Amino acid sequence: MRMAVKIRLKRMGQKKAPFYRVIVADSRSPRDGRFIAEIGTYDPTKEPTAFSVNEEEAKKWLNNGAQPTETVNRLFKKAGIVK
Amino acid sequence: MDVNEKLKEVYELSILYDFYGELLGDHKKQIFEDYVLNDLSLAEIADNTGISRQGVHDMIRRCTKALRGYEKALHLAEKFGRIKELVGQIKELSGEIGEAAGTSLEEGTVREAAAFNVPKIVECATLILQEL
Repeated sequence: MRMAVKIRLKRMGQKKAPFYRVIVADSRSPRDGRFIAEIGTYDPTKEPTAFSVNEEEAKKWLNNGAQPTETVNRLFKKAGIVK
Repeated sequence: MDVNEKLKEVYELSILYDFYGELLGDHKKQIFEDYVLNDLSLAEIADNTGISRQGVHDMIRRCTKALRGYEKALHLAEKFGRIKELVGQIKELSGEIGEAAGTSLEEGTVREAAAFNVPKIVECATLILQEL
């Protein structure tokens, strides 16, 4: 069974200048834009790319069974939040 | 695929989508958007749309191929990247002159900054004009 809560990226920013928020959202309502919490940001336009996340919050959500998407998982790995 | 490469791909596709997304058609656009902009998994998109997971996967691959094809023919994203870089340099160089003018009491320092930076600014501008 899939987890009900996911940690995913949400694209913000203007056209041609992507910027993402790291959000916690219910997996059943992914398209309506609602989310439970914002725990970080990811800016791929910076060199090197800038990822900032509230580590405490991230760990709290992960421990509560929130499922990170593949992309978020990669960012977490890079930041040393998950192994 | 290694961690950085995958993240770079998401960035690349996101930029290509900004340039050529309108050419994809509504249905494909929505699916591609969910995948690249909203970070949904193939399974979630399949659930939402009623298409099979494999079907979603194929569609995203086709979209990716189409977007890369447009870029290969038109190079709009590449040009945009170069121009953005050059405009950034101009901003920095002119900012330095402005700073010298604002903080230095000696006129010579301002002139020096201008003499040093203006030719570089002109060079950037020339390169930008060549891109257009």
